[in-house]
Amino acid sequence: MQFKSQAVAKPYFIAAIGLFVGQILFGLILGLQYVLGDFLFPAIPFNVARMVHTNLLIVWLLFGFMGGAYYMIPEESETELFSPKLALALFWIFLVAGALTIVGYLAVPYATLAELTGNNLLETMGREFLEQPLPTKLGIVVVALGFLFNLTLTVLKGKKTSISLVLLLGLWGLAVFFLFSFYNPVNVVLDKFFWWWTVHLWVEGVWELILGSFLAFVLIKTTGVDREVIEKWLYVIVTLTLITGIIGTGHHYFWIGTPEYWQWWGSIFSALEPIPFFAMTVFAFNMVNRRRREHPNKAAVLWALGTGVMAFLGAGVWGFLHTLAPVNYYTHGTQITAAHGHMAFYGAYAMVNLMMISYAMPILRGRAANSNKSQVLEMWSFWLMTVAMVFITLFLTAAGILQVWLQRASDTPLPFMVAQEKIALFYWMREWAGVAFLVGLVIYILSFFVGGQEEKAA
Amino acid sequence: MSGAFTKSMARNIFYGGTVFFFLLFLALSFDTHSQLPKRDMRANITPQIAEGKKLWEVNNCIGCHTLMGEGAYFAPELGNVVVRYGDEGTKAFIQARPKDGIPGRRSMPQFNFTDEQLDAIVAFLKHVNSINDANWPPNDQG
Amino acid sequence: MCAMTAIAPTAPETPARRLPGDLAIWFFILAEMLAFAVFFSAYAFARATHVAEFNLYQQTLDRNLGALNTVLLITGSWFVVLAVQAAHRDDRPAIPRNILLGFLCGAGFLAVKVVEYAAKFGAGISMSTNTFYMFYISLTFFHFMHVILGMVILAILWVQARKGVYGSHDAHGLESGAAYWHMVDLLWIVLFPLVYVMR
Repeated sequence: MQFKSQAVAKPYFIAAIGLFVGQILFGLILGLQYVLGDFLFPAIPFNVARMVHTNLLIVWLLFGFMGGAYYMIPEESETELFSPKLALALFWIFLVAGALTIVGYLAVPYATLAELTGNNLLETMGREFLEQPLPTKLGIVVVALGFLFNLTLTVLKGKKTSISLVLLLGLWGLAVFFLFSFYNPVNVVLDKFFWWWTVHLWVEGVWELILGSFLAFVLIKTTGVDREVIEKWLYVIVTLTLITGIIGTGHHYFWIGTPEYWQWWGSIFSALEPIPFFAMTVFAFNMVNRRRREHPNKAAVLWALGTGVMAFLGAGVWGFLHTLAPVNYYTHGTQITAAHGHMAFYGAYAMVNLMMISYAMPILRGRAANSNKSQVLEMWSFWLMTVAMVFITLFLTAAGILQVWLQRASDTPLPFMVAQEKIALFYWMREWAGVAFLVGLVIYILSFFVGGQEEKAA
Repeated sequence: MSGAFTKSMARNIFYGGTVFFFLLFLALSFDTHSQLPKRDMRANITPQIAEGKKLWEVNNCIGCHTLMGEGAYFAPELGNVVVRYGDEGTKAFIQARPKDGIPGRRSMPQFNFTDEQLDAIVAFLKHVNSINDANWPPNDQG
Repeated sequence: MCAMTAIAPTAPETPARRLPGDLAIWFFILAEMLAFAVFFSAYAFARATHVAEFNLYQQTLDRNLGALNTVLLITGSWFVVLAVQAAHRDDRPAIPRNILLGFLCGAGFLAVKVVEYAAKFGAGISMSTNTFYMFYISLTFFHFMHVILGMVILAILWVQARKGVYGSHDAHGLESGAAYWHMVDLLWIVLFPLVYVMR
């Protein structure tokens, strides 16, 4: 660890992993509810479990992004963090707010929660992924602003590298586009239109800047390839991301009451969205092949390569599968979307956070890399989780294709629930793949507690 | 090929390209807003429909159902539920949900709505059904 | 350049066929051309299923203004070529002059296009009127914005050229901007026959 203040990243990483575990447990509950409909009903209805599952995902990714940024920015700027105390204070505020929100979801009916938390003052709740009560949303804004203030001042007083500029741009974009979550007009078409300004411009826009920046940082550190080369490619990739992804928002404007030209604009630009992901994969492999040194942390390099490949498959290939309007007409709102969502989030954002944790955590614990034994375990967890996610995606895709066929494309379309019962086998297989994922996650956590001969601190 | 590939050029293209495509997106969004009144039936929105949308939100209906295809995929599409069940059928369905669910089946909670609330929800769902969403879904099953 | 490499294939110090400008701009140009190519293919695909509609509404477009714009853009490209050549032979005053003339051609293009749009929008035509007009407006407006971006780039080149940045020692930035401007021109040369003329 070059700078003392980088240590604030550690609690963020630990919290991220803890929340990740929660996310997966609720995912397993949801998967079971798909086949045993009344499982845990009425204590935890599906909508509550799903809200916990998706909100935990968002929150742990944010913890990971923040931890990664707190780790990376001082090292890039070659100066201590502006205020490590602020970073720690914000950590506790965010953790407590997040925990209270989850408790709120589980403890009282959602309508009561809305009543209690002032949803009548400003109605923002009850929209997918943005279910958080008003105080939580405001809390997110406060934490994000404090976090950005801290990082921006750090960069301003230190060295301004391309990697930190791209990261800051991504993080500022994250904060700005979150503001659209406060806009909820009565007109449901407008509501949905701007809802995507948060959701799409996050995951297919500014978050990719964060992803690219983290990946570039870890590649510089682990391969020793010239910074100039890596930063140039980073710019090329994030340019490709934004020139395809911004107009690519149009692929959400096919069937929600928006004008029909979006079917063309959205199809054309989102058909190009796999290109930046492909470029990212090529970039990661290329840099690792041109490496000038053997970094002792093999696990981090594996995550770096993995995130490129899986983001390309999940976001690029699985996104493209159903992004063209004539196809999407039939697949919109089916398990195909779920399949794409699972692999894309895991491949792009879960894995890039795990990569950052894998690289930084040993250093935060005072060594260049974990013991060989620990790394072998971590790599096992990489393969288990990744292969499990591939199977989850494949089973959901199969379920989705059958669903489309039975419910939408056939001459005698079946009602939703009848079609669901016919594809239950695939939901069972998905659940077992989910169990395998959990096993992988448990092994991942165990890898932190395995001793052995550690690599000396660099 | 000279292989000249400078970082400053790549950076300029990044900023220029981003601004360019964001402006293009704003232009398209602007056009969308001028076209929307013809498609989103905003002129028909009554306080009752607004109340229905609020009830839709505070009961987190989107946590199981889809609306115009967006939401969770656990329960049927509701953008056209009034076509499948009719107004009265929709209300009767919501009212009839057993408190403890249906053994072994996906169960919808009993929300204990008043008659006015049920009317508002149905008014909202009928409004959504009236929106011109390019003939989606493909058939009445959603 | 071609001749030189042809007569001296063994000399290692011979300059290889050089790509003018920065490699980064060529990535961007390729990406942009790909986006246009997909858009053009979508046009062809849509036309194949609406031939009668496309033929009918194509006749409402003003081909004379389109042809005038083609001339303006080709002339603009020619001036930009002259600017690059001037840089290579260190004719300093000619560089900004030719860039400015290229810029004016672009401005002329925009003016003509605004006249054309005013007539169409005045007639109540929008992207939602029908599929043909959707493509007509989308493609030409997408290109229109590229012309503006190209002009912004020319303006920057003009400022730099007046400062005396470019010459035979360094025409790197100038060549990059010029390459982009030629792409904008090239795209119009495909777009114009495709949307205005071909049937």
